[in-house]
Amino acid sequence: MKRPLNFAILKYMTTVDKACPADVVKDLQKDYPGDRRLNETAALESLMTATENGLLVEDSYEVDGSGNLVFYYAAPDECKEEINKYIK
Amino acid sequence: MAIGTKNVPSAAAKELYRKNKSAFFRKGVITALISGILYGFYSAFLVAGEGVGNWPGFWELGIAGSILGYCLICAVGAGLNDICSAVWQIVIAIVKGKFGDFIATLKTKPGAIMIGVALAGGPIAATAYNVGLMMAGGIAAAISALCAAVGAIIGRVFLKQQLNFRMVCGIIICFAAAVTIGWTSFDGLDMTAFIGCCIAFIAALGWGIEGSIGGYATSMIDSDISITIRQCTSGITNLIIVVPILCIMATSMLDTSDISGNIYVYLVGGAVGGGAIVWFIFSGLCCGQSFRMWYKGNSMCGAALGMALNAGYSFWVPFCSWLLMGVILPLVDPSWSYAALTPVQWIAAVVEVFGILLIARNPLDFFRKKEA
Repeated sequence: MKRPLNFAILKYMTTVDKACPADVVKDLQKDYPGDRRLNETAALESLMTATENGLLVEDSYEVDGSGNLVFYYAAPDECKEEINKYIK
Repeated sequence: MAIGTKNVPSAAAKELYRKNKSAFFRKGVITALISGILYGFYSAFLVAGEGVGNWPGFWELGIAGSILGYCLICAVGAGLNDICSAVWQIVIAIVKGKFGDFIATLKTKPGAIMIGVALAGGPIAATAYNVGLMMAGGIAAAISALCAAVGAIIGRVFLKQQLNFRMVCGIIICFAAAVTIGWTSFDGLDMTAFIGCCIAFIAALGWGIEGSIGGYATSMIDSDISITIRQCTSGITNLIIVVPILCIMATSMLDTSDISGNIYVYLVGGAVGGGAIVWFIFSGLCCGQSFRMWYKGNSMCGAALGMALNAGYSFWVPFCSWLLMGVILPLVDPSWSYAALTPVQWIAAVVEVFGILLIARNPLDFFRKKEA
């Protein structure tokens, strides 16, 4: 059975140095093809919620070509440990 | 890594960043506030449902004169509400394309914690809250809103979360306000209301555990999914375990000669009749959405502040009950009535919310934030 999407996002964060919502959508596309829940707005909310609860940290931010703010998130070792403790 | 150490962000980026962050925080605050208002409507619909169809007859049964029998009847109401709520949440999960995730989450560790938390917050607290509401009215809501204070204490003792002087002050203010609400309602030494308030405190304990211990593990689960797990667990355990146990106890300990046939069939079957189910369908919808927004708000603006904002329901419950049963329903059927709270009780309810806010945030932070 496929991992719940929110768990998949957290687990994905333990495998990369840092990621923005667009990275999450792009890299999870192959596991959740055509899933309408997998979009940048939902991914950003999911990443922000995890950060608010100490499961992730904000890494950096930048303004992209079209003037939108892009957030990058990361899971340092202690966050990785915490996520892996709950999500196998 | 600290933010912006790699490339120093421009002033425009900084401004965008600040706006983005505050929009997210504001969304969390509004979500938690709405959860409190929906909680008021859930309570009002529940009390209204327990006043129509076969329900008036239930309250006149011999068993309703004892606390055990009273708890049994209220557990039927709470169970029915949660089952209706569970059905709503499953439909919503299917519509949003999250049903598969709901099944998958059940088998995970956060899913198991969610089920445990639902047992504390669901059958135990919801039944206690219902008993409190029926015995003491809207005052029971103010008592149960102490769950935010209980949550802070549990967090301190078991989760080693910090509890500073400001938070302790907030907790004391909360208790003082709740005692004031309770005290002014005991005019004429109404023992029923007093017992109702004591039982409502059990709800505060259950929801305190749910908010503090469950809050963390559930921050990993999508709020639509966690609420579906909660309502299913709560509704099923209520109607399949809690109510049957209370039925067996009532049959062996109380006089049930005025109940024909099997007591479980009589109560659960009768509870939906005479149009009462319509009210439970409404209360179930409001209940599920209220708790969903509670979880969502908690995980967006922090559990302490989220719980504080949700606890505004100590105001919304008597307000919505009065609006529904004291203002709207009497227009259709003059036999409905609901007393408005006294001015002292209104003020105390507002003071309680202030106390809860004090637990959550240093009031000075609000000013500091604006300067930054």
